[in-house]
Amino acid sequence: MSDFATALASGVRLLRGLPRRRADVEEARRAAAAWAEEHPGLRAQLVVDERPGTPVVDFDLLVEDPEGGTVALTAQAEDGVPWLIDHSTHWAAGQLVSVDEVHLSVAQALTMIRSLSRRDMTPHDEIVDQCLILNEIRKETEPVDAGDLQAAADEFRRGRGLHDRASTMAWLAEMGMTLPQFETYIGGVARRRGFRRRMEAELGPARLAAAPGAFDRVRGVWITGPETSLAACAGDLARVHDGGLAALASGDGDIETTIAERLAFELPEPLRDAAPGTVVGPVAHGGTFLAGVVLTRAAAVRDERTLAAAGRLAFSQWLAERRRQASIEWHWS
Amino acid sequence: MILILSDRQDDAVEMVLPKLRARGVPVTWWDPGDFPARGSLTAAFTGQGHRIVLDTGAGAGPLDLAQVRAVWWRRPNRPTPAENVTEPSHRRHVVWQAEFLLDGAWELAPARWLPARRDVERRAHNKIIHMARAVALGFSVPETVYTNDPFELAPAYERAGGDLIAKQINSDEFTLDGVDHRTYTTVLTRRHLTSRHRLRHEPVILQPYVPKAVELRVIVVGDRVFAMEIDSQASRTARDDWRHYDDDRVRHGAHRLPEDLERRCADLVAALDLTYGAIDLILTPEGEYVFLEINPNGAWGFVEHHTGLPIAEAIADWLAAAETENGSTDHE
Repeated sequence: MSDFATALASGVRLLRGLPRRRADVEEARRAAAAWAEEHPGLRAQLVVDERPGTPVVDFDLLVEDPEGGTVALTAQAEDGVPWLIDHSTHWAAGQLVSVDEVHLSVAQALTMIRSLSRRDMTPHDEIVDQCLILNEIRKETEPVDAGDLQAAADEFRRGRGLHDRASTMAWLAEMGMTLPQFETYIGGVARRRGFRRRMEAELGPARLAAAPGAFDRVRGVWITGPETSLAACAGDLARVHDGGLAALASGDGDIETTIAERLAFELPEPLRDAAPGTVVGPVAHGGTFLAGVVLTRAAAVRDERTLAAAGRLAFSQWLAERRRQASIEWHWS
Repeated sequence: MILILSDRQDDAVEMVLPKLRARGVPVTWWDPGDFPARGSLTAAFTGQGHRIVLDTGAGAGPLDLAQVRAVWWRRPNRPTPAENVTEPSHRRHVVWQAEFLLDGAWELAPARWLPARRDVERRAHNKIIHMARAVALGFSVPETVYTNDPFELAPAYERAGGDLIAKQINSDEFTLDGVDHRTYTTVLTRRHLTSRHRLRHEPVILQPYVPKAVELRVIVVGDRVFAMEIDSQASRTARDDWRHYDDDRVRHGAHRLPEDLERRCADLVAALDLTYGAIDLILTPEGEYVFLEINPNGAWGFVEHHTGLPIAEAIADWLAAAETENGSTDHE
């Protein structure tokens, strides 16, 4: 047998012994490099073929042909693994997350990201919430409400400055979406929006009745910043009706001052139940410190604004409870 | 009495059940997975004949199978031993005995079945059997090889001009490195040829890749035919196998089949002794309909969901017709 034939047989033995798993590729590379050093004339290189969606990898060994050109070696050992099983993919390949019965593909997640809007949540949490809603609506067969459809389309276009058909079509072209795909996508957004709207309307009145104090209209002043700076302003908060507000306004730049009317549950937590005139804080809050005072508090009224807020709050609590109960599995690898 | 045999969480049954109730027909929904742990079945023979009585354990009282006019064999679980039967060989023994009795009871029940009794369904599910029937009925099929001969692979690849797909003969669960894996329609590359020896271990299906305008799922209920087109080509994820589901991009819609093809779909179901079938077709860009396979108990809920086609109504009609034809509506 020629030296080259002997080297090729050795190369085949090398390939048959390499570990065919993604996690072991470095080990395979080291083995191939050692083999290449033993056969310097062949200028051998290992090519790793990492298949998507599976830990299985394939190898080729490129060597220089003494008569010119390249010889590519590949070898598959007889390990008893059936062909289609060897070429199978992980059950969640191409998926980002499974939430109960919903398996969200990476492509769907990327599309979904376009419609995420909550600034107080990470995209990670909001995707889970959207999947929870998808679980709820996956059996819906009724056509999407025309009002929800229009509102979803308008909101989507407004959020991207797509004020006319031409700009919408240009945006679709840029995104690689056809008009029917866009309509399907908006249909999905509208269905999720419709579910949220129905749930808010259903849950809101009971939520308001259960804890009306959470929906008191409260006007207050609060300041955030370093604890020592806030402590120095406690007196200004106590006499906020008597020049204190002006004093706060002229304070140093360390302190951020807010004067606002909110529903009680929307206030910073330390102020929610405070009686008018009582100075609260400084207390640790949201990674900084907060002090404040409630100026006025009016008992909740069952009007449209309050019911809408109660619905939003109840729905977010419903989602939190569903999230707690849900089976959530991220497929990062 | 209509008897529905399926898992208690079966959404498809939930879609049909209200329609049966609206028709005023008595229904029993039972999962054989409750047998023998919770339900009981007694087949008693005398010189005059036999009587088979099922007690589902749900408190509805005994059901004489002679009263059952139609059975919907949906997604029943296998018989399950009681929890306190713990020894593995005892559990296998229980399942075997229970399944044997059930098979006999179903055989003797004087009812019509949707889609068919278990053995008929299993036979119709076999891909080489139903492909042979489809060819005999004039369906266009891809040049298909079912084989475990490693030396068939490269010729098939060449015949297909390098556009070859592989599929498994029957779906089943397996793991790789201890993790659940799946085999979808696999589009072959030359890399796949380098491990041809692995074919020896189990047979596979080899077919040329059929170009698609759209894919079709055709649902046949009795002689009624419903077709949905799936624009899988709009999605990179789903274009080779729509079971990768990418509903954000893939459009689904009702599809009007040519009349003769529609009739042929119903004929295929009947030829396989079925009363229901889910047929997968491809419509090529040239307008040719190509048969892929039929699943005798394939999913239809998503077809109704996407298209509004009244499949649940059709199933309810088919089941209820047996009851009304026999004039017995006095049980609930």
